[in-house]
Amino acid sequence: MDYKTLDDQSLMDMINNKDELAIGELYDRYSRLVYSMALNSVGEPAMAEEITQDVYLRVWKNAGSYRSERGKVATWMVSITRNRAIDEIRRGRVRPESHQVPWEYDEYDHWDRSINIEESIETTERRQLVRTVIAQLPEEQRQALALAYFQGYTHSEIAEILGEPLGTVKTRIRLAMMKLKQQLEPDS
Amino acid sequence: MEEYHVIDLIPGYALGILDDPEKEVVEDHLATCGLCRSDFISYQIVVDELPSAIRISRPPDKLKIGIMERIRVDRHPIKEGKPSSIWEKFKHLFSTNTPVWGAVSLAVIILLVFSNVLLWQRMGQLSSDQHELTSFGLQGTDFTPDAVGMLVLSSDGDYGVLIVDGLPNLTEGQQYQLWLIEDGERTSGGVFSVNEDGYGSIVVTSVQPLIKYGAVGITIEPSGGSPGPTGEKVLGAELLY
Repeated sequence: MDYKTLDDQSLMDMINNKDELAIGELYDRYSRLVYSMALNSVGEPAMAEEITQDVYLRVWKNAGSYRSERGKVATWMVSITRNRAIDEIRRGRVRPESHQVPWEYDEYDHWDRSINIEESIETTERRQLVRTVIAQLPEEQRQALALAYFQGYTHSEIAEILGEPLGTVKTRIRLAMMKLKQQLEPDS
Repeated sequence: MEEYHVIDLIPGYALGILDDPEKEVVEDHLATCGLCRSDFISYQIVVDELPSAIRISRPPDKLKIGIMERIRVDRHPIKEGKPSSIWEKFKHLFSTNTPVWGAVSLAVIILLVFSNVLLWQRMGQLSSDQHELTSFGLQGTDFTPDAVGMLVLSSDGDYGVLIVDGLPNLTEGQQYQLWLIEDGERTSGGVFSVNEDGYGSIVVTSVQPLIKYGAVGITIEPSGGSPGPTGEKVLGAELLY
Protein backbone atom coordinates (compact mmCIF):
# COMPACT_ATOMS: atom_id res chain seq x y z
CA MET A 1 0.00 0.00 0.00
CA ASP A 2 1.26 3.47 -0.91
CA TYR A 3 0.50 5.58 2.15
CA LYS A 4 1.31 8.74 0.21
CA THR A 5 -1.91 8.38 -1.79
CA LEU A 6 -4.14 8.13 1.27
CA ASP A 7 -6.12 11.16 2.43
CA ASP A 8 -5.70 12.46 5.95
CA GLN A 9 -8.89 10.87 7.30
CA SER A 10 -7.80 7.45 6.06
CA LEU A 11 -4.42 7.94 7.70
CA MET A 12 -6.09 8.88 10.98
CA ASP A 13 -8.28 5.77 10.84
CA MET A 14 -5.18 3.63 10.35
CA ILE A 15 -3.32 5.39 13.15
CA ASN A 16 -6.29 4.70 15.39
CA ASN A 17 -5.72 1.04 14.51
CA LYS A 18 -2.07 1.45 15.56
CA ASP A 19 -0.52 1.41 12.09
CA GLU A 20 3.04 2.68 12.56
CA LEU A 21 3.56 3.38 8.86
CA ALA A 22 0.50 5.64 8.91
CA ILE A 23 1.88 7.82 11.72
CA GLY A 24 5.17 7.88 9.83
CA GLU A 25 3.39 9.24 6.76
CA LEU A 26 1.59 11.80 8.92
CA TYR A 27 4.97 12.89 10.21
CA ASP A 28 6.28 13.30 6.68
CA ARG A 29 3.25 15.44 5.81
CA TYR A 30 3.05 17.80 8.73
CA SER A 31 6.23 17.67 10.80
CA ARG A 32 7.54 20.91 9.30
CA LEU A 33 4.32 22.68 10.23
CA VAL A 34 4.19 21.26 13.76
CA TYR A 35 7.87 21.87 14.44
CA SER A 36 7.73 25.38 13.00
CA MET A 37 4.67 26.26 15.07
CA ALA A 38 6.45 25.01 18.18
CA LEU A 39 9.71 26.80 17.32
CA ASN A 40 7.99 30.09 16.56
CA SER A 41 6.20 29.85 19.91
CA VAL A 42 8.98 28.81 22.28
CA GLY A 43 12.01 30.04 20.36
CA GLU A 44 14.23 27.11 21.40
CA PRO A 45 14.96 24.25 18.97
CA ALA A 46 15.40 21.64 21.72
CA MET A 47 12.07 22.52 23.30
CA ALA A 48 10.42 22.63 19.88
CA GLU A 49 11.68 19.10 19.21
CA GLU A 50 10.31 17.93 22.55
CA ILE A 51 6.93 19.50 21.81
CA THR A 52 6.84 17.96 18.34
CA GLN A 53 7.54 14.54 19.82
CA ASP A 54 4.77 15.00 22.37
CA VAL A 55 2.31 16.15 19.71
CA TYR A 56 2.88 13.11 17.53
CA LEU A 57 2.69 10.81 20.53
CA ARG A 58 -0.62 12.40 21.47
CA VAL A 59 -1.89 11.95 17.92
CA TRP A 60 -0.78 8.31 18.09
CA LYS A 61 -2.62 7.74 21.35
CA ASN A 62 -5.71 9.85 20.63
CA ALA A 63 -6.28 9.50 16.87
CA GLY A 64 -9.77 8.27 17.66
CA SER A 65 -10.66 11.66 19.15
CA TYR A 66 -10.11 13.51 15.84
CA ARG A 67 -13.36 14.65 14.24
CA SER A 68 -13.21 15.77 10.60
CA GLU A 69 -16.33 17.92 10.99
CA ARG A 70 -14.38 20.16 13.36
CA GLY A 71 -11.59 20.87 10.88
CA LYS A 72 -8.63 19.48 8.98
CA VAL A 73 -6.04 17.21 10.50
CA ALA A 74 -3.36 19.88 10.05
CA THR A 75 -5.53 22.41 11.90
CA TRP A 76 -6.09 19.93 14.72
CA MET A 77 -2.39 19.22 15.04
CA VAL A 78 -1.48 22.91 15.03
CA SER A 79 -4.01 23.50 17.78
CA ILE A 80 -2.46 20.73 19.90
CA THR A 81 1.01 22.15 19.22
CA ARG A 82 0.00 25.69 20.10
CA ASN A 83 -1.63 24.62 23.35
CA ARG A 84 1.38 22.50 24.28
CA ALA A 85 3.79 25.35 23.55
CA ILE A 86 1.74 27.83 25.54
CA ASP A 87 1.72 25.39 28.46
CA GLU A 88 5.53 25.37 28.42
CA ILE A 89 5.63 29.15 28.32
CA ARG A 90 3.18 29.41 31.22
CA ARG A 91 5.21 26.93 33.27
CA GLY A 92 8.25 29.09 32.82
CA ARG A 93 10.30 26.37 31.10
CA VAL A 94 11.04 28.76 28.23
CA ARG A 95 11.17 32.52 27.94
CA PRO A 96 10.61 33.31 24.25
CA GLU A 97 11.98 36.50 22.80
CA SER A 98 8.93 38.65 23.31
CA HIS A 99 9.68 41.16 20.60
CA GLN A 100 10.39 38.74 17.80
CA VAL A 101 7.65 38.80 15.16
CA PRO A 102 7.85 35.39 13.45
CA TRP A 103 5.45 36.01 10.56
CA GLU A 104 6.51 35.01 7.07
CA TYR A 105 5.66 37.35 4.22
CA ASP A 106 7.60 35.84 1.34
CA GLU A 107 6.21 33.50 -1.26
CA TYR A 108 4.35 30.64 0.33
CA ASP A 109 6.59 27.73 1.30
CA HIS A 110 4.92 24.32 1.05
CA TRP A 111 4.93 22.58 4.40
CA ASP A 112 2.71 19.74 3.31
CA ARG A 113 2.19 17.35 0.43
CA SER A 114 -1.37 17.53 -0.83
CA ILE A 115 -2.53 14.57 -2.86
CA ASN A 116 -5.14 16.62 -4.75
CA ILE A 117 -3.68 18.99 -7.34
CA GLU A 118 -6.74 21.25 -7.57
CA GLU A 119 -6.99 21.50 -3.81
CA SER A 120 -3.29 22.21 -3.67
CA ILE A 121 -3.55 25.22 -6.00
CA GLU A 122 -6.53 26.69 -4.17
CA THR A 123 -4.87 26.08 -0.83
CA THR A 124 -1.65 27.73 -1.98
CA GLU A 125 -3.52 30.82 -3.14
CA ARG A 126 -5.41 31.03 0.14
CA ARG A 127 -2.27 30.73 2.20
CA GLN A 128 -0.53 33.37 0.13
CA LEU A 129 -3.49 35.66 0.74
CA VAL A 130 -3.08 35.24 4.51
CA ARG A 131 0.60 36.17 4.23
CA THR A 132 -0.20 39.21 2.12
CA VAL A 133 -2.84 40.47 4.52
CA ILE A 134 -0.56 40.07 7.52
CA ALA A 135 2.29 41.79 5.67
CA GLN A 136 -0.02 44.75 5.04
CA LEU A 137 -0.94 45.16 8.72
CA PRO A 138 0.76 47.95 10.69
CA GLU A 139 3.86 46.71 12.50
CA GLU A 140 2.34 47.23 15.94
CA GLN A 141 -0.71 45.13 15.01
CA ARG A 142 1.49 42.31 13.68
CA GLN A 143 3.56 42.35 16.85
CA ALA A 144 0.54 42.25 19.17
CA LEU A 145 -1.07 39.49 17.11
CA ALA A 146 2.16 37.45 17.17
CA LEU A 147 2.40 37.68 20.98
CA ALA A 148 -1.23 36.59 21.25
CA TYR A 149 -1.09 33.79 18.71
CA PHE A 150 2.37 32.28 19.18
CA GLN A 151 2.85 32.80 22.92
CA GLY A 152 -0.79 32.86 24.02
CA TYR A 153 -0.30 35.99 26.12
CA THR A 154 -3.47 37.68 27.34
CA HIS A 155 -4.32 41.29 26.51
CA SER A 156 -3.03 42.48 29.88
CA GLU A 157 0.20 40.46 29.57
CA ILE A 158 0.86 41.89 26.10
CA ALA A 159 0.21 45.40 27.40
CA GLU A 160 2.79 44.83 30.13
CA ILE A 161 5.35 43.34 27.72
CA LEU A 162 5.03 46.19 25.24
CA GLY A 163 4.58 48.91 27.83
CA GLU A 164 1.36 49.99 26.15
CA PRO A 165 -2.10 50.78 27.58
CA LEU A 166 -4.44 47.80 27.82
CA GLY A 167 -7.05 49.45 25.61
CA THR A 168 -4.44 50.09 22.90
CA VAL A 169 -3.43 46.43 22.83
CA LYS A 170 -7.04 45.24 22.68
CA THR A 171 -7.70 47.61 19.78
CA ARG A 172 -4.61 46.50 17.84
CA ILE A 173 -5.47 42.83 18.09
CA ARG A 174 -9.11 43.43 17.28
CA LEU A 175 -8.26 45.53 14.22
CA ALA A 176 -5.74 42.97 12.97
CA MET A 177 -8.24 40.14 13.31
CA MET A 178 -11.01 42.20 11.71
CA LYS A 179 -8.79 42.93 8.71
CA LEU A 180 -7.96 39.26 8.30
CA LYS A 181 -11.62 38.28 8.63
CA GLN A 182 -12.68 40.83 6.01
CA GLN A 183 -10.05 39.71 3.50
CA LEU A 184 -10.56 35.99 4.03
CA GLU A 185 -14.34 35.95 3.88
CA PRO A 186 -15.64 34.32 0.67
CA ASP A 187 -17.29 37.45 -0.71
CA SER A 188 -14.36 39.78 -0.01
CA MET B 1 -20.75 44.91 30.26
CA GLU B 2 -22.37 46.60 27.27
CA GLU B 3 -23.08 44.61 24.10
CA TYR B 4 -20.57 46.75 22.18
CA HIS B 5 -17.69 45.70 24.41
CA VAL B 6 -18.63 42.04 24.27
CA ILE B 7 -18.48 42.10 20.47
CA ASP B 8 -15.03 43.67 20.66
CA LEU B 9 -13.82 40.75 22.78
CA ILE B 10 -14.81 38.03 20.30
CA PRO B 11 -11.50 38.14 18.33
CA GLY B 12 -9.57 37.76 21.58
CA TYR B 13 -11.86 34.94 22.64
CA ALA B 14 -11.19 33.13 19.35
CA LEU B 15 -7.46 33.49 20.03
CA GLY B 16 -7.95 32.14 23.56
CA ILE B 17 -6.29 35.13 25.18
CA LEU B 18 -9.04 36.62 27.32
CA ASP B 19 -8.71 36.86 31.09
CA ASP B 20 -11.18 34.61 32.93
CA PRO B 21 -13.78 37.30 33.81
CA GLU B 22 -13.98 38.53 30.20
CA LYS B 23 -14.04 34.97 28.92
CA GLU B 24 -17.05 34.16 31.08
CA VAL B 25 -18.90 37.25 29.86
CA VAL B 26 -18.28 36.31 26.21
CA GLU B 27 -19.31 32.70 26.76
CA ASP B 28 -22.54 33.76 28.45
CA HIS B 29 -23.26 36.13 25.57
CA LEU B 30 -22.49 33.60 22.83
CA ALA B 31 -24.91 31.19 24.45
CA THR B 32 -27.76 33.59 23.64
CA CYS B 33 -26.68 35.51 20.53
CA GLY B 34 -26.70 33.72 17.18
CA LEU B 35 -25.15 36.66 15.31
CA CYS B 36 -22.18 36.78 17.61
CA ARG B 37 -21.79 33.01 17.44
CA SER B 38 -21.54 33.34 13.67
CA ASP B 39 -18.99 36.10 14.13
CA PHE B 40 -17.01 33.89 16.50
CA ILE B 41 -16.97 31.06 13.95
CA SER B 42 -15.58 33.47 11.35
CA TYR B 43 -12.81 34.51 13.72
CA GLN B 44 -12.06 30.87 14.52
CA ILE B 45 -11.50 30.32 10.81
CA VAL B 46 -9.07 33.23 10.83
CA VAL B 47 -7.16 31.67 13.74
CA ASP B 48 -7.10 28.32 11.93
CA GLU B 49 -5.55 30.01 8.89
CA LEU B 50 -2.82 31.91 10.73
CA PRO B 51 -0.37 28.98 10.37
CA SER B 52 -0.23 29.87 6.67
CA ALA B 53 1.99 32.76 7.69
CA ILE B 54 4.29 30.81 10.00
CA ARG B 55 7.99 30.99 9.28
CA ILE B 56 8.79 27.42 8.26
CA SER B 57 11.80 25.56 9.66
CA ARG B 58 12.86 22.03 8.88
CA PRO B 59 13.09 19.74 11.91
CA PRO B 60 16.29 17.69 12.39
CA ASP B 61 16.24 14.25 10.74
CA LYS B 62 16.81 12.53 14.08
CA LEU B 63 13.46 13.81 15.32
CA LYS B 64 11.47 11.31 13.27
CA ILE B 65 13.71 8.50 14.47
CA GLY B 66 13.05 9.48 18.08
CA ILE B 67 9.31 9.73 17.58
CA MET B 68 9.02 6.37 15.83
CA GLU B 69 11.08 4.78 18.59
CA ARG B 70 8.79 6.17 21.27
CA ILE B 71 5.80 4.86 19.32
CA ARG B 72 7.36 1.40 19.07
CA VAL B 73 8.02 1.43 22.82
CA ASP B 74 4.41 2.44 23.37
CA ARG B 75 3.23 -0.50 21.26
CA HIS B 76 5.66 -2.99 22.77
CA PRO B 77 6.36 -1.81 26.33
CA ILE B 78 8.21 -4.95 27.51
CA LYS B 79 11.60 -5.31 25.84
CA GLU B 80 14.05 -8.05 26.96
CA GLY B 81 12.30 -8.42 30.29
CA LYS B 82 12.88 -4.78 31.26
CA PRO B 83 9.65 -2.95 32.15
CA SER B 84 9.24 0.52 30.67
CA SER B 85 6.08 1.65 32.48
CA ILE B 86 5.66 2.07 36.21
CA TRP B 87 3.02 -0.66 36.31
CA GLU B 88 5.38 -3.04 34.53
CA LYS B 89 8.12 -2.08 36.97
CA PHE B 90 5.96 -3.02 39.94
CA LYS B 91 4.73 -6.21 38.22
CA HIS B 92 8.34 -7.12 37.48
CA LEU B 93 9.05 -7.23 41.18
CA PHE B 94 6.81 -10.31 41.40
CA SER B 95 8.58 -12.21 38.63
CA THR B 96 10.12 -15.58 39.53
CA ASN B 97 13.61 -14.23 38.96
CA THR B 98 13.18 -11.34 41.40
CA PRO B 99 14.88 -11.53 44.80
CA VAL B 100 12.53 -11.99 47.75
CA TRP B 101 13.25 -8.46 48.97
CA GLY B 102 11.68 -7.04 45.78
CA ALA B 103 8.33 -8.70 46.43
CA VAL B 104 8.46 -7.83 50.13
CA SER B 105 9.19 -4.18 49.35
CA LEU B 106 6.26 -4.01 46.96
CA ALA B 107 4.01 -5.58 49.58
CA VAL B 108 5.13 -2.91 52.06
CA ILE B 109 4.31 -0.16 49.56
CA ILE B 110 0.88 -1.57 48.77
CA LEU B 111 0.22 -1.90 52.49
CA LEU B 112 1.28 1.72 53.02
CA VAL B 113 -1.03 2.99 50.28
CA PHE B 114 -3.89 0.84 51.55
CA SER B 115 -3.30 1.97 55.12
CA ASN B 116 -3.43 5.58 53.99
CA VAL B 117 -6.75 4.94 52.25
CA LEU B 118 -8.01 3.27 55.43
CA LEU B 119 -6.79 6.29 57.40
CA TRP B 120 -8.81 8.60 55.18
CA GLN B 121 -11.84 6.39 55.67
CA ARG B 122 -11.39 6.29 59.46
CA MET B 123 -11.21 10.06 59.47
CA GLY B 124 -14.64 9.94 57.82
CA GLN B 125 -13.50 12.25 55.10
CA LEU B 126 -14.11 9.93 52.17
CA SER B 127 -17.72 9.98 51.07
CA SER B 128 -19.23 7.46 48.70
CA ASP B 129 -18.50 9.90 45.87
CA GLN B 130 -14.83 10.03 46.72
CA HIS B 131 -13.90 6.36 46.53
CA GLU B 132 -12.38 6.74 43.08
CA LEU B 133 -8.66 7.33 43.02
CA THR B 134 -6.61 8.78 40.19
CA SER B 135 -2.98 7.79 39.72
CA PHE B 136 -0.18 9.42 37.75
CA GLY B 137 3.12 7.83 36.84
CA LEU B 138 6.28 9.85 37.45
CA GLN B 139 9.25 9.35 35.14
CA GLY B 140 12.93 9.62 35.96
CA THR B 141 15.26 12.20 34.46
CA ASP B 142 18.66 11.88 32.80
CA PHE B 143 20.11 12.20 36.32
CA THR B 144 18.02 9.26 37.63
CA PRO B 145 16.83 7.31 34.58
CA ASP B 146 15.81 4.24 36.58
CA ALA B 147 13.66 6.08 39.08
CA VAL B 148 9.89 5.76 38.94
CA GLY B 149 7.08 7.11 41.05
CA MET B 150 3.34 7.15 41.43
CA LEU B 151 1.08 9.85 42.75
CA VAL B 152 -2.35 8.67 43.87
CA LEU B 153 -5.02 11.31 44.42
CA SER B 154 -8.53 11.15 45.75
CA SER B 155 -11.06 12.28 43.15
CA ASP B 156 -11.65 15.61 44.89
CA GLY B 157 -7.93 16.19 45.16
CA ASP B 158 -7.96 16.75 48.89
CA TYR B 159 -5.65 13.81 49.60
CA GLY B 160 -2.68 12.25 47.89
CA VAL B 161 0.02 9.67 48.40
CA LEU B 162 3.38 9.64 46.64
CA ILE B 163 5.32 6.41 46.18
CA VAL B 164 8.79 6.29 44.64
CA ASP B 165 11.20 3.57 43.65
CA GLY B 166 14.74 3.49 42.34
CA LEU B 167 15.98 6.74 43.85
CA PRO B 168 19.54 6.86 45.14
CA ASN B 169 20.24 7.18 48.84
CA LEU B 170 21.24 10.73 49.65
CA THR B 171 24.05 11.99 51.84
CA GLU B 172 23.36 13.14 55.37
CA GLY B 173 21.83 16.57 55.27
CA GLN B 174 19.81 15.95 52.10
CA GLN B 175 16.25 14.89 51.40
CA TYR B 176 13.91 14.65 48.43
CA GLN B 177 11.26 17.32 48.09
CA LEU B 178 8.01 17.11 46.12
CA TRP B 179 6.93 20.20 44.19
CA LEU B 180 3.37 20.89 43.10
CA ILE B 181 3.41 23.05 39.97
CA GLU B 182 0.71 25.46 38.74
CA ASP B 183 1.28 28.13 36.09
CA GLY B 184 5.01 28.04 36.67
CA GLU B 185 4.68 28.45 40.44
CA ARG B 186 6.13 25.70 42.65
CA THR B 187 4.66 24.80 46.04
CA SER B 188 6.19 22.24 48.36
CA GLY B 189 4.17 19.04 48.72
CA GLY B 190 6.44 17.56 51.39
CA VAL B 191 9.91 16.17 51.99
CA PHE B 192 10.94 12.54 52.37
CA SER B 193 13.80 10.11 52.37
CA VAL B 194 14.11 6.68 50.77
CA ASN B 195 15.22 3.39 52.29
CA GLU B 196 18.32 1.51 51.26
CA ASP B 197 16.40 -0.01 48.34
CA GLY B 198 15.37 3.36 46.97
CA TYR B 199 11.71 3.14 48.04
CA GLY B 200 9.91 5.96 49.77
CA SER B 201 6.42 7.35 50.27
CA ILE B 202 4.69 10.34 51.78
CA VAL B 203 1.19 11.63 52.25
CA VAL B 204 0.99 14.75 50.08
CA THR B 205 -0.42 17.91 51.58
CA SER B 206 -1.36 21.24 50.01
CA VAL B 207 -3.25 24.42 50.85
CA GLN B 208 -5.48 23.84 47.80
CA PRO B 209 -6.90 20.69 46.21
CA LEU B 210 -4.17 18.69 44.51
CA ILE B 211 -6.18 18.47 41.30
CA LYS B 212 -5.51 22.21 40.81
CA TYR B 213 -1.90 21.47 39.92
CA GLY B 214 -0.83 20.73 36.38
CA ALA B 215 2.46 19.01 37.08
CA VAL B 216 4.73 17.67 39.84
CA GLY B 217 8.46 17.35 40.23
CA ILE B 218 10.88 15.97 42.82
CA THR B 219 14.30 17.49 43.52
CA ILE B 220 17.19 16.95 45.90
CA GLU B 221 17.21 19.57 48.66
CA PRO B 222 18.77 20.22 52.06
CA SER B 223 17.15 18.26 54.91
CA GLY B 224 13.85 19.80 55.87
CA GLY B 225 13.29 21.23 52.42
CA SER B 226 13.77 24.55 50.66
CA PRO B 227 11.44 27.43 49.81
CA GLY B 228 12.01 26.65 46.14
CA PRO B 229 13.78 24.01 44.03
CA THR B 230 17.54 24.30 44.23
CA GLY B 231 18.85 20.82 43.49
CA GLU B 232 18.82 18.22 40.77
CA LYS B 233 15.45 17.08 39.47
CA VAL B 234 14.93 13.32 39.80
CA LEU B 235 11.29 12.65 38.91
CA GLY B 236 8.46 14.52 37.25
CA ALA B 237 5.08 14.23 35.58
CA GLU B 238 2.31 16.23 34.00
CA LEU B 239 -1.03 15.75 35.70
CA LEU B 240 -3.34 15.29 32.74
CA TYR B 241 -6.98 14.70 33.62
